[in-house]
Amino acid sequence: MQKIDKVKRDKALELLKSGSDSKLLTHLNACVRCGLCAGSCMFYIAHKQSKFIPAKKVDLVSSVYRRYCTSMGKIAPALVNAKDLDDSMAEEMVDLLFGSCTMCGRCVKHCSIGVDIAYIVRKGREMLSAMDMVPASLQATVDSALRTGNNMAIPTEEFVDTIKWMEEELIDEMGDNNARIPLDEPHKNVFYTLNPREPKFFPLSISAIAKIFYAAGENWTISSRFYDVTNYGFFNGNKEQATVIARNLYDEIHKLRGNVLVLGECGHGTRANRWEGPNYLQKSYDFDMTTAVELIADYIRQGRIKLDKTLNKELVTIHDPCNLVRNGGLLEEIRFVVKSAADNFTEMNPHGNENYCCGGGGGMLAMSEYNDRRLKIGEIKANQIRATGAKVVITPCHNCVDQLSQLNHTYKLGIKIKTIAELVADALVIEK
Amino acid sequence: MCWYHWIAITSLIFSVALFSYQFARLVIPGRPDDLSVSSGSVTKGVVYSFTKAMAPGAKESAYLHMPTYAGGIIYHLGTFLSLVLFFVLLAGFPSLNNPLRTIFSVLLFISFFAGFAILIKRIINKDLKSLSGLDDYISNVVTSLVQLFTAIYLLVPGAEILYYLSVALFFIWLPLGKTKHLLFFFFARYHLGFFYGWRGTWPQKSE
Amino acid sequence: MATLKVGGKVFEVDGDGFLTDPSVWNDEVATMFAKLDGIDELTEKHWAIVRIIRNNFEEKGNAPMIRFICQETGLKLREIYELFPLGPARGACRVAGLPKPDGCV
Repeated sequence: MQKIDKVKRDKALELLKSGSDSKLLTHLNACVRCGLCAGSCMFYIAHKQSKFIPAKKVDLVSSVYRRYCTSMGKIAPALVNAKDLDDSMAEEMVDLLFGSCTMCGRCVKHCSIGVDIAYIVRKGREMLSAMDMVPASLQATVDSALRTGNNMAIPTEEFVDTIKWMEEELIDEMGDNNARIPLDEPHKNVFYTLNPREPKFFPLSISAIAKIFYAAGENWTISSRFYDVTNYGFFNGNKEQATVIARNLYDEIHKLRGNVLVLGECGHGTRANRWEGPNYLQKSYDFDMTTAVELIADYIRQGRIKLDKTLNKELVTIHDPCNLVRNGGLLEEIRFVVKSAADNFTEMNPHGNENYCCGGGGGMLAMSEYNDRRLKIGEIKANQIRATGAKVVITPCHNCVDQLSQLNHTYKLGIKIKTIAELVADALVIEK
Repeated sequence: MCWYHWIAITSLIFSVALFSYQFARLVIPGRPDDLSVSSGSVTKGVVYSFTKAMAPGAKESAYLHMPTYAGGIIYHLGTFLSLVLFFVLLAGFPSLNNPLRTIFSVLLFISFFAGFAILIKRIINKDLKSLSGLDDYISNVVTSLVQLFTAIYLLVPGAEILYYLSVALFFIWLPLGKTKHLLFFFFARYHLGFFYGWRGTWPQKSE
Repeated sequence: MATLKVGGKVFEVDGDGFLTDPSVWNDEVATMFAKLDGIDELTEKHWAIVRIIRNNFEEKGNAPMIRFICQETGLKLREIYELFPLGPARGACRVAGLPKPDGCV
């Protein structure tokens, strides 16, 4: 049975009409297929298959563009490598654009021309989304967020119970009845956000940030309804859905009259809110946005928290989340915080803007369909970590944390994986 | 002026017209709209994109593939030399004396072989082959032929017709095939510089 | 659809190795799945966690919050992470025969 009818195809092609979009027009036309990007891509390095070359992924999208949007492609498609958008093309696109690219952008930085390959892959995902061809597991995560306001469909009362539980632990640990995790409080300076996997399964990072806020004397709150920093609409290529999800936080901070939207430790969530959010909503935000990493860095610089880094003696290394570092510019900020909180630090090779993805980015972690590939490309990261000899890997992204945990188990690394807040909380000196 | 001069000139006009149209489409929209709050500098990012980011040491596509990279650079220099020589030869510049002709000819033979080697690589390398279509072969052939025929024509005046026809073919194909990166390359660097500059990734600092 | 062979039996699983049909789950399946994760023997503590997750799934159709698991078993958070090295989601939920939870897990 034919999967793509004319209506669907037209919807997808509409996205390639570059009318007044110079960036789109540029990146659809700039690749020369030199193929040198192969060596910069984890999928190609791990699998050594031609189809994983980043240029191949670009070519899927741009060959369709040439076929339907350029004169040469309409007159003589074979001459200019123009291809029909039919079922087999669409299936190849699903396999390569969803199933073999984390949109980490490592190839982009190393491209001989400067083609924004990840941007074109995302454009291809948008086309697939317009044709209802998003992998089911990824769409399920988006649907949960649309339906319940968080991507794990946690009911509000269960979230509240968890926060109360964490608050009791905090009171115990601080020995102070005034230690708080304030919920839904208006007019606070910091409106904090979480990845739903924290309340659901890994709440230690919530206690960690609460401890830091306590030490800094911060005025903060979490919303009990819209606290989810993630936005899988960034991954499934459905801009309308991404916009709905981004608007949740926008509306909620207004409702609670918060001052600064602080994005919890999440790579794509930071990107989807900070860099894409205003563009999804088509308006400049009238509140400030920052990340937990930058906020903690400010606390350290201003002396609002005191750290004793000898409390973290084990050798630590940093895994740079692609969306925060290469695609977010936080390279130095992350290092400043980690070096302030850990006694013993070493870099991975390569690291920073050159870093390899954990292997779970781009929504890969949510897509069971491609589990084997994800673990195989993760071996590159596992080997990088092993080579450092570090006992602890710090990464300010919960998605990376989960992939690294699985790599830790699969490749028997014997390491601990921590968020920045967890590292800093362990080094806190709290003066009574 | 003979008929083949006119064919070459007409092809050049076709090329320039098409590139101007593309250029207008790229420039008229102006600076990309971004409603997020920048944490860097677009200007610095774009400057970096065209300078340090292009250094061979900054790109795996260069430092992991030195022979191909060197070949590519020579090939591109040859293309630009051919372009300049086209105008010189068309104008019948008297200053192009014999020793100079020989030097340019030798240089162009070298760059032709660089281009030819890149073509061979595309055919025998299984990864590159799977990535390639007619456009890739045509683009290489028309560009390489111009270099070859320029080199020959510089030494053998009788090759004039062949030379101008190869130039005509080149100009016609230039804005149609992937050779259009002559224009798009610069915009790709700009947009990439904008993207990384906006977010403070470029200029890359200490690390 | 992938399959998983353990202990001479073949199970239909998703790409992450979670059971496609949670109803084929029983104690024996749990033991076999645990072995795959390097847990050679399910102790009483393991079982307590697995039972709570399973019951919650049968009643509410999803995995319980970690808070609920801690509260019901009396185990500390860190103990749970130690008992299931892959964590509550990829570890315990899989052993308990649940489908893979959505999100970054």
